[in-house]
Amino acid sequence: MLAQPEVAVAANRPLLVADDIHRHFEGLHAVDGVSIDVPPGQITGLIGPNGAGKSTFLAVLAGTLPATGGTIVFDGVDITRQSAFRRARRGIVRTFQLPSEFARLTVLENLLVAAPDNRGDSLVGALLGKRYWIEDERRHTRVARELLARFGMSAKESDYAGNMSGGQKRLIEIMRALMLKPRLLLLDEPMSGVHPKIVLEIQRYLQDLRAEGLTILMVEHELHMVERLCDSVVVMAQGKVIGSGTMASLRRQREIVDAYLVG
Amino acid sequence: MNSYYAANLLVYAGVDIIALLALNLQFGVSGIVNFSFIVFQAVGAYAAAILSMPPDYAQGYDFQVYVGGYQLPFPIPWLGGAVAGGLLAIPVGLVVLRKLRSDYQAIALLVLSIITNEVITNARPFLNGAAGLALVPPPFSDVIDPNTETYQYFYVAMTAICVVLVFVVVNRIVNSPYGRSLRAMRERELAAMAIGKNPVQLKMTVFIVGGVIAGLSGAILVGFIQLWAPSVWLYPETIILFAAIIVGGRGNNVGAILGALLVPVGFEEVTRFIPSSFGPPGLIPALQWVAIGLLIIGFLWFRPEGVRPEPRHVFEGAPVREDLEDARAT
Repeated sequence: MLAQPEVAVAANRPLLVADDIHRHFEGLHAVDGVSIDVPPGQITGLIGPNGAGKSTFLAVLAGTLPATGGTIVFDGVDITRQSAFRRARRGIVRTFQLPSEFARLTVLENLLVAAPDNRGDSLVGALLGKRYWIEDERRHTRVARELLARFGMSAKESDYAGNMSGGQKRLIEIMRALMLKPRLLLLDEPMSGVHPKIVLEIQRYLQDLRAEGLTILMVEHELHMVERLCDSVVVMAQGKVIGSGTMASLRRQREIVDAYLVG
Repeated sequence: MNSYYAANLLVYAGVDIIALLALNLQFGVSGIVNFSFIVFQAVGAYAAAILSMPPDYAQGYDFQVYVGGYQLPFPIPWLGGAVAGGLLAIPVGLVVLRKLRSDYQAIALLVLSIITNEVITNARPFLNGAAGLALVPPPFSDVIDPNTETYQYFYVAMTAICVVLVFVVVNRIVNSPYGRSLRAMRERELAAMAIGKNPVQLKMTVFIVGGVIAGLSGAILVGFIQLWAPSVWLYPETIILFAAIIVGGRGNNVGAILGALLVPVGFEEVTRFIPSSFGPPGLIPALQWVAIGLLIIGFLWFRPEGVRPEPRHVFEGAPVREDLEDARAT
């Protein structure tokens, strides 16, 4: 099982190549020369102790924080200087570590707002009136409701997202990201605060998505989860990559075990 | 109640409704704290005035100095007012909305409002300085005598048509997927970017659309009162409009209309009837400001969502409570 992806890595060009990424905050080197390749169609885990720079690195990849150095190439295109919304339109979609729902939008609206091709999502389209865009809206509503049903949130669709629990907000965010039909999904601790039953549902769904060819890079603290879900793992500490490979191979490396896996 | 007073009240109500629909789009829906809103109304009024007035050397107009004076017929002054509001929004938006954080945007816009007023007040050759422009010809005044009752109601009707038009436009924007993107940006700009929204573009568009509508409201007002001076668009006027949005309900177009009727129209009309001999001179206007302030604080404290809160969008085919209880029972 674990050997297969490695064959795939060799066969495929990485979907995303980050080369010598730096992110400094006034002297604090949060990300200090990180280089990774994200192979397509796999789930790559990003682990490390608190303050290792994992979330910062994810933000730099998504463009929500600009890099202070290094280059990011996505599917053969240098995107280092592109803004976050352009990267999102290219297919790099991130979720946030802290809940980031649109509080005064309903749960369903939180999903619909992310759908990329809606004729009513421009000033002119809006002015042309409901008849011009209602078909797009209905189509997206069907997709959104399927997602809501899958994650057991159908009953909540008309409630304000701001009134949901922490775990539900996390689900909303994952569903919202999926509405964009991403090519690379960057997940920042997607399972934290989520009920174990739903965690299994998210896990199954991520595996389905991988089977459909979606590439995922996820920050996760729960090592059993990482072991079950991730094809390969990158370990970060103090802004640097200290190791990578499968979870099993990492467990054999003394210094990584010292730095993170037990300590 | 005499009919001039009624017409006057109705035109003011219409102008305030139009302005507040624009401010609601900017502030209520999109979260742009436009503290210079009144400037956009003013620029529309000035533009409409100089488009409809004869040049300043014409007989009867030579006591004032101003640029332009094109004597153009209706509807050019009104359209010109709207265009002027939109044009002003472009440079202001480019400077203010791109780099600054939203609280600093509000401060920058407030300062802009004060500076603009000072400049127009003191640069007399431009728009006649503090004295302002007078004898602005009302629309069709060469055909109908503006001092008749018929004309007054004709003006009310024209204002009403604009109110309906603006209401349809803002309603279509607010209730569309585009309006949803605007609300998402208001709620959390960073997350909106992460799902592919361009906040600068969204804000610029709303700023310009709001500027166009505000400019139109100024053009309508100046055609009716026939004069326009810096003293009528001091920055506190914007605060009154914000009070109206907060009272009416942020993000609700019907709330904006209600706010227009309750605050700028209702409130000012009611306090007008307090006898001016009451207390020392200047007491009543000062107390009006105190009351506006208390109104804002009171609403933010006790009913922050306003009289008519932003509507919650429930979609066709959404499960209703009975369905859920059925589902639970089975």
